[in-house]
Amino acid sequence: MMEKMSEENIEDVRVLEAQIENLQAEVAALQRQQQDNHKDITFHLRGHIQDAMSYVCGQKQAGEKEKVLSKLTEEVEELEEDLKRQTQMNGISLNSCTTKTLQSSGRQLVQQLCVSGHCSELVFQVEFQLSEVKKGQRSERTISDLNVVMDTSDLQNFSSFLSGVEESRDLLLFFRTLRTFSDRCDDRRRTFQHFQEKYPSVVSLPGGCRSAVMTLNHPELPGCVLFVHWSVEVSREGRVTPKIELLTKIPEKALQLFPSQAVSGAAEAFQSLLRILGPEAAVESVIMAVSLSQDT
Amino acid sequence: MVTQPPPKSKKKPQLVLNIFIWEATQNKEKDLRSMDGASTKGVLSHLSLLEVQARSRKTQPQQPSRVKELKAKAEALMTQRDQLKAEIETHKSLQKLRASMDKQRTHEEEEEEMAEDSDNSQLLRLMARHTQLKDLLHAHDIIGGYNIIKTRKGKGLCISLTTAYNGVYLENYNLEMDLKPTLRISRDNIPPFIPLKSLAEQSNMQTDIRTLLDPLSQHLNAFAARKQQFKLVKELHKSVQVMESNALCSLLVLMFTVPREKTAVLCSLEYTDHTRCLPTRVHFECEDKGLPDSPQWKKNGSLLMETPVHKALITMKKMGDIV
Repeated sequence: MMEKMSEENIEDVRVLEAQIENLQAEVAALQRQQQDNHKDITFHLRGHIQDAMSYVCGQKQAGEKEKVLSKLTEEVEELEEDLKRQTQMNGISLNSCTTKTLQSSGRQLVQQLCVSGHCSELVFQVEFQLSEVKKGQRSERTISDLNVVMDTSDLQNFSSFLSGVEESRDLLLFFRTLRTFSDRCDDRRRTFQHFQEKYPSVVSLPGGCRSAVMTLNHPELPGCVLFVHWSVEVSREGRVTPKIELLTKIPEKALQLFPSQAVSGAAEAFQSLLRILGPEAAVESVIMAVSLSQDT
Repeated sequence: MVTQPPPKSKKKPQLVLNIFIWEATQNKEKDLRSMDGASTKGVLSHLSLLEVQARSRKTQPQQPSRVKELKAKAEALMTQRDQLKAEIETHKSLQKLRASMDKQRTHEEEEEEMAEDSDNSQLLRLMARHTQLKDLLHAHDIIGGYNIIKTRKGKGLCISLTTAYNGVYLENYNLEMDLKPTLRISRDNIPPFIPLKSLAEQSNMQTDIRTLLDPLSQHLNAFAARKQQFKLVKELHKSVQVMESNALCSLLVLMFTVPREKTAVLCSLEYTDHTRCLPTRVHFECEDKGLPDSPQWKKNGSLLMETPVHKALITMKKMGDIV
């Protein structure tokens, strides 16, 4: 009787031991998979989001759901407020930021980040590697492999700056310059729109309000056109300089009729006007002149 | 970590017997020490009793407690496995949600009406949103945004400005501001040679604080860049002597040695535009009065005006102009 029991038990033991071996292998594989997953999307598993995770995985009581939900909602609302404030403060709207962990040891963390967004009308996408190395109390952060993508079809000035910034990995310079460039472009757009609304018969914007060109002509003199060319230039160093020029398109016959410098020297004269009155006032005086207005 | 239990089932009775024998021997020695004369007979009978006990233990079923032990272990592993599976599944759902949320933001689509496919869908959406917000806030910080924190229950602000050069993050500077009665700087750790006060006066900070922060950041970043360049000159170019520099890093005087003739050339770099990290003036002085006007050195002058100094020196060394 006792021997029979021993036999059964030996068999049970063998079966159980095999089962345990399989389970251990399964668990090890799942742990590896989880580690890999965490490289693709990092959850800062602390506080309320950790509680939420535990709840969803069945580790908490059903009754806890309301509490977990309300705490997490509160935290998410705070984060939304922070993001709004940050967006307004920085003048840059971010649409997405995906992080992939490439390497993570005790002292060093290497991540690949892809950030996309827009600054006013300018859309961008930047991708780079961020390394964080702990050195004593501080940690040193470095960027490498910077890649910037922008639609530069109408931003000829920008492309030389962009390639320079990729080479020097000056991510912060890129964003500072982008914002300043965007501000200057916005100044131009606002000014052009303002004048078009104020003097609709004289002012037109053939390329739209975001273009660099505003044309002025009197409706009764269609052949004589003045162009205000307002470009925003970006040096390789990242300096943003608006440049405004006045160009004339006046038929030969008209020039022959009026040989005075006033017409042919308009471009130079405009530059002096710019220096004295500033861009908006200078442009307005030219518009007034073109409209042959009696008002001063 | 689960360790494999040693297969005791075959060896155990023998081991037990050995232990008993050893114990018995200990006792035997104790007995010998405590009593005189031949008590070995007592010891031996004790020993044979133990042997009988051991043998009877051998035939008893040890396995039930062993089976119970293994069953418990298997259960624990199954729970662990199921827990991991649940976490991985949740992670997958969160990843999917997050990807669709990122797409929505980029294409400014209407928020999709997700079917209530699970009891936890609301919680999962919140979790995905949480990670998205955290990542976006982190991105704002990384790209050099002005970190703003409300302090003193909304009565104050603390603004942090980041500096970086050539991919290396450098110092952070802070401004503490009072919000009432008007926006006003109360404390800061901006170096004194940065004209914070005049930048504040020239700005429109009451209506748009960026009119203060943008120029300030420009000054700080240019300063940090020049400082870093000077540091790299000292580290990378030991053959070049740094004669003079100042706290604002707006002046750098270097001593070059021309190879072969071993003449010394004094080079002054002036950075009068403090919002830039390239010099506004480069000047060479040499005993050989003709050297600064030579085409080679005119070229070096332009190089130093257009390239950060530590990089320019590398080129000048390559060209064999300096040691």
